[in-house]
Amino acid sequence: MSQAFDKLFDARGLSCPMPLVNARKEIGKLELGQVLKVVATDRGSVADFQGWAKVAKNVELVAQETETTEAGNVYAHYVKRTA
Amino acid sequence: MPAMAKPPNDETWTAADLFERLERRDKFFLLDVRNRDEFARSRIEGRSPLPAVNVPYFEMLEEGGQDDMLDSVVAYVERNLADHLPSDLPLLAVCAKGGTSEIVAQGLRRLGYASVNLAGGMEAWSRHYLTRALLAGRELAIYQVSRPARGCLSYLVASGGKAVVIDALRHLDPYLALAQNIGVTIEAVVDTHSHADHISGGVSLAARSGAPYHLHPYDGIHPMDLRPATIPYQFLRDGQTLAVGRIALEVLHIPGHTLGMVAFRTGDYLFTGDSIFIRSIARPDLGGKAETWAPLYGRSLRRLVGLPGGITVLPGHFSSLDEADDAGRFAAPLEELKKRNDGLLALERESEEGFVRYLLESLPKFIPEYVDIKRVNAGFLEPAEEEAAILESGKNVCALSQAYAASGGGAS
Repeated sequence: MSQAFDKLFDARGLSCPMPLVNARKEIGKLELGQVLKVVATDRGSVADFQGWAKVAKNVELVAQETETTEAGNVYAHYVKRTA
Repeated sequence: MPAMAKPPNDETWTAADLFERLERRDKFFLLDVRNRDEFARSRIEGRSPLPAVNVPYFEMLEEGGQDDMLDSVVAYVERNLADHLPSDLPLLAVCAKGGTSEIVAQGLRRLGYASVNLAGGMEAWSRHYLTRALLAGRELAIYQVSRPARGCLSYLVASGGKAVVIDALRHLDPYLALAQNIGVTIEAVVDTHSHADHISGGVSLAARSGAPYHLHPYDGIHPMDLRPATIPYQFLRDGQTLAVGRIALEVLHIPGHTLGMVAFRTGDYLFTGDSIFIRSIARPDLGGKAETWAPLYGRSLRRLVGLPGGITVLPGHFSSLDEADDAGRFAAPLEELKKRNDGLLALERESEEGFVRYLLESLPKFIPEYVDIKRVNAGFLEPAEEEAAILESGKNVCALSQAYAASGGGAS
C-alpha cells in the first residue's frame, strides 16, 4: 500500500540540486501536518532528502520508496511539514 | 615544470586538469558539497594532503535560508564558512555530478573568491583514466593504465604487434584506444585475481577483442557464496607461460589476497597484482578467511622476494598518489621495496607466525560492497551503469592499514 500524501511534486528529469530546492519551496506552501510526495529520477536525491530532513527544522521525512520502471528508477520522498 | 597543456580556466577544471594539478602539487582548497557519508568514503586526494572542508549542499540551502540555491550559498558562506576558507588559494567546488558545485563555485566567485568547479563532479573524476608508457621498445612495451580516483592500476604489454591486457578496469576505451594508437592486436586478457574493490573489464574487453579471458580457477569460485563463476574463462596455472608476440608471460600462483592470485613475470618485470604494492602489501581477509589465508600469503610473498635478478614491481594498486615516482609511474625495483615497503620489512623481520600476526593486526575495515563486486566479477550480478558506479565509489581498500595511515583519506 502506498503512503498517503496531500500534494504531488514531480521532479523527474531534474538533476541535483533542483529536486530538493524546488521541493523545499513547495513545502512552504503546505499547511502544517500535510505531506508532499516528491518523485525524482535523480538517484542522489535519496540520501540528500534524508540529510536535508535532519537539518531542516520544519520537516519530517515520513517515507521513501523506489519504483522500478522501464525508463529507470523513480524515487519517491514523502515529506511532512511540521512547523 | 612541464608546460601547461591548455590555457588555464578560472571557472572550470576537467578531471584531467585536476589530475595535472594534483601531480604538480599545486596548492588549492577543496570544498566538497556531497553528503557526509560520501565524503567520508571517497574524497579527492593529492600527492600531499589537500586542505578540505565538507559542507553538504542541503545544509547550505537550509541554513542559508533562501529559496534560490545561489542566494543560499552566498548567505551561508558569508555567515558560516568565511572563517574556514582561505582567501589566497583557488577553491575547488566538488559534488557528485558537477551541477550543484557549479552553483556553489558561482556563489563563491560572487563573494570574491577564486573558485572553480570540477566539471562532471566525482562521477567524472572516478571515470578518469591515464595511460603512461613504462617501456616502449619494439621487443617489449609496457603501458600502465591507471584510474587515479580509485587507485587502480592495469597494464597493456605489447610485443611484435600483439598485446595482452592485465587487470583491465571497467571502462574499455583506454585499452582499445591505446591498442589502436600503438598498432597492436589484443590477443589475451588476464586478471591477476578476482577483484573485490572494482568491477573487472576483463571479460568484456576479451569479448570486444575476440581474445580469450584467463583467470586462476581458484578465483573462479566466489569465496563467500562457494558458487562457481558463470563468466567464460580459461584456467591459469602455476608455471604456465602465455606467449605475447616475441615474449612470454610466466604465471606464478601466489595465494594470499585471494586463493587464485597470480603474478605475471616477463624478464625483469613482475606484475604483482594484489600482493606487493609500492608502500604496502595486500590484505588477506577479503575472502572472509584471513586466518586460513594469511600463512599461505606469507609463503607466496617469500617466493616473490626470493626471485633472482633486478626485478621491477608493477603493482595492481596504489593507496596514495605520492607512491608514484617523479614521472608519475607506479613502479619500483623489488630490491628497493625490500628496504622501504612496510609489509616486506615485516616479512623480513618476523617469523612465519609473527608475520601472520602482523597481517591479522593490520586489517582495515571490511567494505560490505566488496562481496557484491566479487559477485559481479563472477557473473552472478549484472548491474546497470549507475549501480556499477555506486558499487565502485570510493577508493580501493585492498592494502593493509599501514597504507592509509598518512593519506588523510577516509579509507582507514
